[in-house]
Amino acid sequence: MADQHDVETTGHQWDSEEGYPLKEFNNPLPRWWLYSFYATVIWAVVYWVLYPAWPMLDGYTKGMLGWSMHQEFAQDSKAALAQKKASNDRLEKLSLKEIARDNSLLQHAMSGGKAIFGDFCAPCHGSGGVGVKAGGFPTLADDDWLFGGDLDTIYETIDKGRDGAMPAHLQGAGGAFSEAQVNDLTEYVLSLSKRSQDAAAAQRGDQLFHGEAGCNGCHGDLGNGSIKGTVAGSPAPPVGAPNLTDAVWLYGSDPAVVRASIAKGRTGHMPAWGSGAKETGKRLTPLQIKQLALYVHGLGGGQ
Amino acid sequence: MGQQANQTLFYDYDVVKKFSIAAVIYAIVGFLVGVFLALELAFPDLNTTLPYLSFGRLRPLHTSAVIFAFGGSVLFATSYYVVQRTCKTQLFSRFLSNLTFWGWNLVVVLVVITYPLGITQGKEYAEPIWPIDLLITVVWVAYFINFVGTLARRKDPHIYVANWFYLAFIIAVAMLHIVNNLAIPVNLTDSYPLFSGVQDAMIQWWYGHNAVGFFLTAGFLGLMYYFVPKQAERPVYSYRLSVVHFWALSFMYIWAGPHHLHYTALPDWASTLGATFSIMLLLPSWGGMINGIMTLSGAWHKLRTDPVLRFFIVSLSFYGMSTFEGPMMSIKSVNALSHYTDWTIGHVHSGTLGWVAMVSFGALYHMVPKLWGVTIYSTRLINLHFWLSTVGVVIYIVAMWISGIMQGLMWRAYDSFGNLSYSFAETVAAMHPYYLIRAVGGIVFLLGALLMAYNLAMTVRGGSRQTQAVAR
Amino acid sequence: MKHDTIERSIPLMVILTLVLISIGGIVEIVPLFFIKSTIEKVEGMRPYTPLELVGRDIYIREGCYNCHSQMIRPFRDEAERYGHYSLAAESMYDHPFQWGSKRTGPDLARIGGKYSNMWHQAHMQHPQSVVPESVMPSYPWLKKSPLKYEDIEKRMQVLAMVGVPYSAEQIANAKKDLQAQASASSDASGLSQRYGNKVPKDDFDGQPDQISELDALLAYLQMLGTLVDFSSYQAQAR
Repeated sequence: MADQHDVETTGHQWDSEEGYPLKEFNNPLPRWWLYSFYATVIWAVVYWVLYPAWPMLDGYTKGMLGWSMHQEFAQDSKAALAQKKASNDRLEKLSLKEIARDNSLLQHAMSGGKAIFGDFCAPCHGSGGVGVKAGGFPTLADDDWLFGGDLDTIYETIDKGRDGAMPAHLQGAGGAFSEAQVNDLTEYVLSLSKRSQDAAAAQRGDQLFHGEAGCNGCHGDLGNGSIKGTVAGSPAPPVGAPNLTDAVWLYGSDPAVVRASIAKGRTGHMPAWGSGAKETGKRLTPLQIKQLALYVHGLGGGQ
Repeated sequence: MGQQANQTLFYDYDVVKKFSIAAVIYAIVGFLVGVFLALELAFPDLNTTLPYLSFGRLRPLHTSAVIFAFGGSVLFATSYYVVQRTCKTQLFSRFLSNLTFWGWNLVVVLVVITYPLGITQGKEYAEPIWPIDLLITVVWVAYFINFVGTLARRKDPHIYVANWFYLAFIIAVAMLHIVNNLAIPVNLTDSYPLFSGVQDAMIQWWYGHNAVGFFLTAGFLGLMYYFVPKQAERPVYSYRLSVVHFWALSFMYIWAGPHHLHYTALPDWASTLGATFSIMLLLPSWGGMINGIMTLSGAWHKLRTDPVLRFFIVSLSFYGMSTFEGPMMSIKSVNALSHYTDWTIGHVHSGTLGWVAMVSFGALYHMVPKLWGVTIYSTRLINLHFWLSTVGVVIYIVAMWISGIMQGLMWRAYDSFGNLSYSFAETVAAMHPYYLIRAVGGIVFLLGALLMAYNLAMTVRGGSRQTQAVAR
Repeated sequence: MKHDTIERSIPLMVILTLVLISIGGIVEIVPLFFIKSTIEKVEGMRPYTPLELVGRDIYIREGCYNCHSQMIRPFRDEAERYGHYSLAAESMYDHPFQWGSKRTGPDLARIGGKYSNMWHQAHMQHPQSVVPESVMPSYPWLKKSPLKYEDIEKRMQVLAMVGVPYSAEQIANAKKDLQAQASASSDASGLSQRYGNKVPKDDFDGQPDQISELDALLAYLQMLGTLVDFSSYQAQAR
């Protein structure tokens, strides 16, 4: 770099009245600066020749490499698929139970399932399926299932989605029962998990539960839900009615919440991710759903 | 220019003083909002129930407060100061000076009221609604006339380099502002922009990038070209370099916008132009740094005693660093990692805190005593401010580098089976410590600015009450 | 020296600067309006329904774009996480565009239909109640605020002026369509006839007795990225 003391200023001066006057040396452009600048220009020109760069009247220069971001993406995706092809083929061919018995294949499936679960399922079911604070989203890491915890049922739940429909019971909210009757029903439901404070009310609720309100039609005669429950000798219909006798509460165990469920009803909705979804909602392939089912099954509560 | 013997030359410092005071106030407001936002990201419960303090509404307030309120006031103050002194004349019109001051501050007040209420047009760095946009246009035209009018009265036929940069800044911002805000109103507060989708995206980032290019770079280079040689008491290193890098910068900066849209639905060709021009922009950007730093060379010993010069040298270093980092981040494959992450936030802050804010602090410390005709209240406090600023910026950008690069890597991490390793939520959780550290960096930087406010206030209090300083 | 002439003349400085800074913008922006391949030809794009449009305005009002992108890049990880990469055509009616610049939260380009309305209700009320890792603000005021839509026709007219193909019939029926979409039980034949039968129609906010701002925002979120039929797009791309 040239020593600035050897060069002259341009001869102009500004703002010389107060403080040091502004002057300019006329040092030449630093060589390294100039050559680096030329280098970047050359680099850019080469880039323009190789890659899509300049707009034309209709279209643009495509570049000698024929590169485009979409084509690069297509290649990446293809390579990724090729890497997984052997295991994916087997995952597709084998049944869920067969995969579960093949340890190395199962590991592959669990990895795929975990990846999907994190972004697609965890927002509702919690990371690792441990559940979330807000009510209405089932925990998947326990053995309490609404529709069933075996591999095929889990697959079906993900593939086709589920709708839970608990009707409202209170007059004015869409139901046919008085405040007092809803209170009695609540008391009975609480009694199923040994939390009733008022035996007489629970008794009246019992009558309603198994009579006029017909709760046992879905929750079973013993109130133990549509999976385990039976209705007068035959199984309860598989409508996802929860077991009311255990400590697991979908919307919360607080008596007021239980009462609200009875009074106003609940509509839970598990979106369909595969064949049960509308065209744009088919986010997961059967292969992905298989892996996901195996992963969910392995979260701790699979049956 | 004729000989006007014995005529005492007065500079019109009234508007410069007012904008300087505004700059200090807006710096603190802007940094404070920034710190609050940083804390919101670390502790989301901070924005629970009050819509007005919610992150989405406040973030534009932070960016507008620091860029346009603080940065804008600094540019108004220094350009009005510099153009008078380098042209040896008064400002063209006192009326226009006042119009720009009150108009600009009205803009700021309206922005501060409307954003928290959710009254916004939702374009980044151009959130003001259309009536405010019109007001900005009026102020800007007044600014242009006032600046050019002053230049026209110059005593020396040559226009000093600082004024080239200020002029380019004023012209470019006018063009960007008008095109990017073309819209049709629905009512007094709402409008829909003329452009949509990909074209709107391109125009927005043509605007957004050059708000950086001309507002935060060209404008502040103008500032640098006056205050650095003046404070260092050295001639500018190279006139030739300033010519070349001025025109190269002006021409090339404008092309770099598409690098904000790599791998989006913007066509490949536009993306390429953005990347290549960003790379070619590196050396023209560095021209300013070289000229600044080499001007200081030969005055190195002054760094030991003059903390104002320290502000300048460090700001030029941050300028050099972020104008290097920017072109690197505009390379498509680097951008694929950095885009959408905190790396961008770190990059922006190394430019805005490290370069813009620190060079502005230096200018204010240089200018305020001269405006009020007094000496600085405390040089030790300037020194303390210098260290707080430097440490604050470094903490900030290091935290954002780590969190940004980590986030980008986590998003694309695959396990040995070829499946994604992390969910998005897991990457958010991993950011938490860095959000905390960033907030600490911001607080340290804010403390420095508070010291400056105190120091300058005490300086002014010790000064005289005259509004016009005698130049000779 | 030639620069001497320029730096002595204000008009020369101004004109040269203006010319130089105009070139880049002209070359990069103008062709986007006439190069035909810029916006892909796809099936399924339609203007926003009145409810979605008001919801989109709320999205902008709350500054959602500050933390959420709506632009999936053509990368393997993004495709796996979010779905098919975004097309230019998908934002052709977006005034202004909502591609965003930062992902403090996840991309939302294809959030439509991904999670249930009930999840969105809980999430907007207090995001951490469903996603403990989240740093998103709570938006409890949305479901409490009745939706203001008295000027919906005006909004659609202005959008029609800037090129969104709203028909006179769509504008005339705006309020009716808006109310129909925000209810689970209403007759939506007019809405489907005017906007297609894929339009999601529900009591989005879980409050059947009122149309709240949450209804509108969720209607918008629940349709994001669901319009384009990718089976037809890919067939054409090959």
